[in-house]
Amino acid sequence: MKLRLALLSLTALGALTFAAQAEDLKIGLASAQTGTLAFGDQPSLAGLQLAVDEINAAGGFGGKYKAVLDVKDTRSDTAATVQAAQELVASGINILITPCDADPSIAAGQISQPAKVVTFTFCGTTPTITSAVGDFMFGTYPADNAQATVLADYAHEKGYKTAYILKSPDSAYTLKLPEYFQQVFTKKGGTIAGEGTYSMGQQDFAAEVTKIKSLSPQPDVVMTSAYEPDFPAFIKQLRAAGVTSPVLGSDGIDTPTVAGLGDVVDGVIHSSAGLPSPGTPLETFAKKFTEKTGKPFDTVYIANGYEIGLIIDAAVKAAGSLDPQALRDAVANLKDVEGVTGKITYAGTDRMPSRDIALVEMKGGSRSLVKTVTPNPADVPAP
Amino acid sequence: MEFFIQQLVNAISLGGIYALLALGLAVVFSIVGLINFAHGELMTVAGYGLFFAIGVSLGLPIAIVVAIFAAVAMALLIERVAFRPMRRADVTGLLLTSFAVSVILRVLFQNGISARGMPVPMPSALAGSIDLGFAHIGVIPLLSIVATAVSLGGLLLFLKHTVVGTAMRAAAQDFAVVRLMGIPANRVVAVAFAVSGVLAGVAAFLWVAQRGSVDPLMGFVPVLKAFVAAIIGGLGGLAGAVAGGFVLGFLEVACQAFLPAAILPYRDAFVLGIVILILVLRPEGLIPAQTGKRS
Repeated sequence: MKLRLALLSLTALGALTFAAQAEDLKIGLASAQTGTLAFGDQPSLAGLQLAVDEINAAGGFGGKYKAVLDVKDTRSDTAATVQAAQELVASGINILITPCDADPSIAAGQISQPAKVVTFTFCGTTPTITSAVGDFMFGTYPADNAQATVLADYAHEKGYKTAYILKSPDSAYTLKLPEYFQQVFTKKGGTIAGEGTYSMGQQDFAAEVTKIKSLSPQPDVVMTSAYEPDFPAFIKQLRAAGVTSPVLGSDGIDTPTVAGLGDVVDGVIHSSAGLPSPGTPLETFAKKFTEKTGKPFDTVYIANGYEIGLIIDAAVKAAGSLDPQALRDAVANLKDVEGVTGKITYAGTDRMPSRDIALVEMKGGSRSLVKTVTPNPADVPAP
Repeated sequence: MEFFIQQLVNAISLGGIYALLALGLAVVFSIVGLINFAHGELMTVAGYGLFFAIGVSLGLPIAIVVAIFAAVAMALLIERVAFRPMRRADVTGLLLTSFAVSVILRVLFQNGISARGMPVPMPSALAGSIDLGFAHIGVIPLLSIVATAVSLGGLLLFLKHTVVGTAMRAAAQDFAVVRLMGIPANRVVAVAFAVSGVLAGVAAFLWVAQRGSVDPLMGFVPVLKAFVAAIIGGLGGLAGAVAGGFVLGFLEVACQAFLPAAILPYRDAFVLGIVILILVLRPEGLIPAQTGKRS
């Protein structure tokens, strides 16, 4: 009798604690807070944290669920990301967030997809992330093919006829983005003057740069999606060799380190999720971020992390519950979520959102907005 | 022709940096039999030295001195704290210790400074190039060639014309006999680490000048290259390390410059394939180290 009573009270206790926990929206982060992906994951988390604090203070996600974050550092290691995702999913999270890169995100998605946990990659941009995992996987940042389209359109508008592309087979981002650019650029009548390859982290671009320098005539534009530490080394050596062709880059160089390179990056144009130029909602957000955290708003990844909070809030509101299927459907049908960089839409996409892309020019250690574009879906190459 | 000369300069410059790195490994290995995988972290320390010195606007020449001092200080510190207690350990024990030191330092950089890269602004004079008529030579490649030559020359003078240097050369052949001559072992070992710190500091400046930033993991690739170079050269010999560095630099630049575009993505495979071939033909390396040890 006693035993039965004890068991009964235990189950009741269990049910009670479960009920108490069920009121919370548990967001698990298998995130690269250290290592090579920290440049994107750290600021993304800072932004998300701010969104969570604000939304919790205003009554919770969807007006009723307080969010709790469980952050596990993956050290930018794919195996560690899988392990973190496994632990998080087993602990009963409602939403999983994965690092700023395709490989760990897809690997972690293999855990969260069968468990029906809605998953967002922090700022992974490879458009195949979502199709490689399944219907519970979502991107948030402008996809590679969309960014490449905006860059190629810009090159076309500027009247560039020939382009040199530099890519690396070491990651989907560094390989595919220039290839998407090539597709759109040649479709619009441009030609590829040459293409080069590098290994990530190789540091020495002298041989490659000498090849570009020896091209005659010089290409109208050089395009690459290299990021740190490769992009700084490349651009320095390119300019040192006397190549003056304009350079187009992608969102990976939207970091304070690249802006800190000084006048070698003057005139470099790159795609980005947004720029806090005067009068924009992003500028208001940037000020608020600095005010509340005391840290400078030094990269747009902060805004992206914040927007993930807004997306989750909108989805929970639409779903009305934390039921996994309802939550997934709600995210997939979101339309015109008012973010700080512009409107974000999932409805009608392959779970990589349709959103504005900013073209940004670097000069004198700071950035200025060239223009903001929403790429024409008909121009965007298939992933 | 200009293309060829240009690539030759590129190869000498890259080979020079690899030679400095490999030499840093070889100096320590020749004396204590330790492959110091924390050598890359000495570069990172030097990189942060540059970052902080330039940050408080000390000017580049002083910043370079600060960077080299930082690397030397760290080299002496890890020798005292980690490697001296392990002096009698076998090769595996030493190797694992150096991995541990490397990981600990990286974690300290990540948590103590930042996991994200820090910009190290270099004077714009370094970004230019000099027109020699037959070729344009970038200031940084030129600087690496000069820095390599000066460092190698300096090291040679040090080893040939000072007592400690002579003791180091002797210790590389037979440490026991050196100790019997009344030379304090600790001093010889400490000097070897200090020399490797100087070499890491110089290499770090050249490396950072190219990449423009410093981050906690930046030492990983260079130490790997240094290891490959030291192995090609014949581990433990100083002349071998220099030769290995230049061979690796030349191979990399030649493959990048002359491989057809279709197989260029496999450049590293080609380079390492040739390295294996060299080792098959000469298992002891290009210039095997001379030791008094009998097998």
